[in-house]
Amino acid sequence: MTKATQQPSPVTRGWRLQTKLIVSMLLVGVVPLLVGLGMAFWQGSQEIHEVSGESFKALATEAARKLDLLVGEEIARTSRIAADPMIVRELERRRDRNLKPESGRYPIKQDLQLKWESKDPATVKMITENPVANLLREYYTGARSEPDELIPQVVRGATKMLFVTDTQGHLAAALTDKPPFANGEFLWWKGTFNKGIGQLYIEDVYFDDLAQTYAFSISLPVMDSLRYEAIGVIHRVIDAKEFFGPSTHPIRFGKTGHVMLIDHRGIVVSCPILPTGVRLSDASIIPLVTQRESGWTSAPSDGHGGRSSSIIGFSPLPETSRNTNGALEVGSWHTFVWQSSDELFAPIKHLFTWMTVFGSIAVALLATLGYLAAKRIVTPVRQLQQAAQSIGRGELRQSIEIKTGDELETLAEEFNRMNRQLEAAFTGLTDQVTLKTQEVQYLQRSTDQILDAVPTPILIVDDQEEVLYVNRTGREAFALTEESSAGGRLFDMLPVEPSQQQHLRQELWSHQTTGMAPSLAGEPPAAVEHIRDPLVPETATVHRSRQAELQLGAHLYRYEWFRVTGRPGQSDRVGLVLRDTTDESRMQEKLVQAEKSGSLGILTAGIGHELNNPLFGIMGLGEALQDECDPARVKSYAQDIIHHGKRMAAIIRDFTGIAAREISDQRQTVHLEREMDQALAAVMVGLDTSQLTIERTYAGDTLVMALPDQLKQAFSNIMTNALHAMKNQGTLRLSTTVGEKTVVATIADTGPGIPKNHLSKIFDPFFTTKGQGEGSGLGLTVARRIIRKFGGDIRLESVEGAGTSCMITLPLMAPASSSKEASWTASESRTLPQVSRS
Amino acid sequence: MDRFRIAYSTAGLTFLILAVWWVASAYPAKDDSKTPGISPERVAGFVHAVLQAHRTIYTTHIVNRLQEKGVVMAVEHWEQENALPLPAQFLQHSGRLVAESGQGIRYRLIGLSPIYQRNAPATDFERKGLEFLNRSPDAPITGIVSSGRKQYFQAIYPDRAVSSACINCHNSHPLSPKRDFKINDVMGGIAITIPIE
Repeated sequence: MTKATQQPSPVTRGWRLQTKLIVSMLLVGVVPLLVGLGMAFWQGSQEIHEVSGESFKALATEAARKLDLLVGEEIARTSRIAADPMIVRELERRRDRNLKPESGRYPIKQDLQLKWESKDPATVKMITENPVANLLREYYTGARSEPDELIPQVVRGATKMLFVTDTQGHLAAALTDKPPFANGEFLWWKGTFNKGIGQLYIEDVYFDDLAQTYAFSISLPVMDSLRYEAIGVIHRVIDAKEFFGPSTHPIRFGKTGHVMLIDHRGIVVSCPILPTGVRLSDASIIPLVTQRESGWTSAPSDGHGGRSSSIIGFSPLPETSRNTNGALEVGSWHTFVWQSSDELFAPIKHLFTWMTVFGSIAVALLATLGYLAAKRIVTPVRQLQQAAQSIGRGELRQSIEIKTGDELETLAEEFNRMNRQLEAAFTGLTDQVTLKTQEVQYLQRSTDQILDAVPTPILIVDDQEEVLYVNRTGREAFALTEESSAGGRLFDMLPVEPSQQQHLRQELWSHQTTGMAPSLAGEPPAAVEHIRDPLVPETATVHRSRQAELQLGAHLYRYEWFRVTGRPGQSDRVGLVLRDTTDESRMQEKLVQAEKSGSLGILTAGIGHELNNPLFGIMGLGEALQDECDPARVKSYAQDIIHHGKRMAAIIRDFTGIAAREISDQRQTVHLEREMDQALAAVMVGLDTSQLTIERTYAGDTLVMALPDQLKQAFSNIMTNALHAMKNQGTLRLSTTVGEKTVVATIADTGPGIPKNHLSKIFDPFFTTKGQGEGSGLGLTVARRIIRKFGGDIRLESVEGAGTSCMITLPLMAPASSSKEASWTASESRTLPQVSRS
Repeated sequence: MDRFRIAYSTAGLTFLILAVWWVASAYPAKDDSKTPGISPERVAGFVHAVLQAHRTIYTTHIVNRLQEKGVVMAVEHWEQENALPLPAQFLQHSGRLVAESGQGIRYRLIGLSPIYQRNAPATDFERKGLEFLNRSPDAPITGIVSSGRKQYFQAIYPDRAVSSACINCHNSHPLSPKRDFKINDVMGGIAITIPIE
């Protein structure tokens, strides 16, 4: 079982579930609420704009009509004066008088003007008391009006000046002494007189110095009786505020809503709030409200000094505007309906306040409800989370109790089920792990036992040359306790010479890095290896013992590296097996001795047996000779004795041919083919070779390292056997084949072949198929021994009834030999088989 | 009638004397009796013909067509409403322009039942002329009138309701005192005044 994780529950990053739930509920509720409230607010304010604008426009239009009628009435009243026949007659008379070019008229006028300005009583009386002036006064007081058409008191009070001028603009009649005498240069006079054509002229509001008030004037031409031309001007100066005030000031709505009258320059003619004669505070709204048609606008300021956006209704006075300053183009009067935006937008502001209050309540409610709802959801989730943690630690013992009746309860049940299954699964797993652990322990123990039982020391070394394991034999051999066996350095345990240490380290490294099993010997195998002749005393043992052997104290060990696969993630390790060969090499030496002795015994017995037969024959013949008198017989016996003697001599020669010449161990470069030819020639001496064919197929001039006599001996022995087998009849094939490093010489006969059961024994000493006295049984033994000594080998292949082939393999010498015999076969054919018959 | 005849003969006589005086003053070097002249009746006749022609073209070819196509209407408050002046207003305004030109000749529309009192007859001559034209609208009324010492030749031509626009307006206008005009009725007259030096 893994270690239980006891770390605290992981800290939840970012927002926790409960916060998220509350926030999402708030968003779901608040966003539509705010959007809805905002849209309602916007729409509400738009509609208030629209409704207010339309009603302001209607009010402005109505007020304009009313004021227009007021002005119109006043114009009509004035025009009645202008059309009075008495005035017309008087002015016609004045005109006619002016037409007469009388000298001194101007001085009279100038004189009059001076007198008028100096308030000369006579002159003043002349102008203010003449019939026209009286008539004006009558009109002014209403005495001339129809009984039901009294001039309202307001109008009378508002009229600051009323006077009549003649065609030159000179004062003809006036109510008071205020009016100026010469009016011909005034705009209103020029506009009204209009070159004699005459037209209504309403002057814009101005500050009248004489009346000491803001006033406007109405001027009408007095036309002649034919209405052909103007003969004078009647001029009326009216106090604007006094005249319009009664009409505009009562129109009030709310606290600030009112109607005002302005002219085209934005100068106030009449306003309940602003004084007459001032200009609207914001010039930018003047073009907006002085349009030719009535309407309403949403202006950036109210014109009364406020900078808040306002709704303004406006309408021109249609008839009055037509005549202001003589024409519509040069002046018009407008009504202006306005209400303070604070007041106007108060309902919207109330709405906004209430919406904010309700919105806040709704948000608070949402937050509370969201918190409760989130808590209801989050509590079981948190329980589940804790349960999951306990399960993770393997600590959950009791089942989770959640009774919400929804998916969470189902989830809790699933958790319980999962927990039960996990517990079951874990129990099985624990058993299995215990079992496997026991098995592993058993395996380890048995491996240890096996390794301990192995009688050779075994060490396991890692790549740091640290000894990880030593078996019991090893511990005994290196005098280690079980505790100190592991963890030591390899060369602390193996006390070897430094040079050998180096050698071993190299091997260890090559194992570590390549994993290749190195050959036991550190050196490459010699190309020409000397076979140890059992009869020749060993001379190379010292050399051989260096390879894969270790001398540790009194013991000699053969060793071998092997690779041990490391644990996953770790490097491989290397094992070292040591084999104590101290006893073995002693045994070997004893064995060699025994072999030598055995061979000598067999040899001696063989020699004895071979020599005994002719010897006993000689002895028998000698005994017979002692008693024989017949000289013929004696001669025959003597011949037999000689024959036997020869035979014995041959046996001894054979024997000594092997043994004696081996003393001279001076190898030299020899020509293989030449040696073969010489051996064949020696063998064929004294034989009937009439029915024998020799076929030679030589590869060429092949050089080998050998002793020439011994090599010749070996070939002779083989050829003798071949010829004997063929009974000197048939074909003897001699051939050499050069391979990469070896040359193969083949001697093939066409004899009867060798039976299979003899093939295995054919190289045994003294094994022969020849009859008694015909062969010593040593030929092939000797031949093999010789060839092996030169690093080669002999092989026999035989097919019964078809012949025998003997293949002699010899290591090839380097061809670049400077031997003087190298040129011997230079003239010989090497490719074509050389058939000779002898 | 006798009075008219006397007026005619007086006017004719006066005219003759004036014409002779005018010719004599204009061409002082030439022979007086041979100088060619033109009677104010004929001058008024020319002016009236031109006025009639202009107003007819304005009414039929401009106002009617623009109204039919719905481009722009002819209304009384044409200045405020950015529209066309009514044919009657056209004549009145052209009269003002002529007056302002300083040539001395003036003309205006007058009627016995005008919408605005300013277009009512200014003198007895005008009123009586209109009354006469109401009865026999075939020829203009002419005469010499005076204002103070100034004398003028005046001719009043009858003005008929030539299009439905004329009677519709006059029959429906709130200020109109008479609301039973019919097509081809004499609604008033064109008074042409020429000063006599």
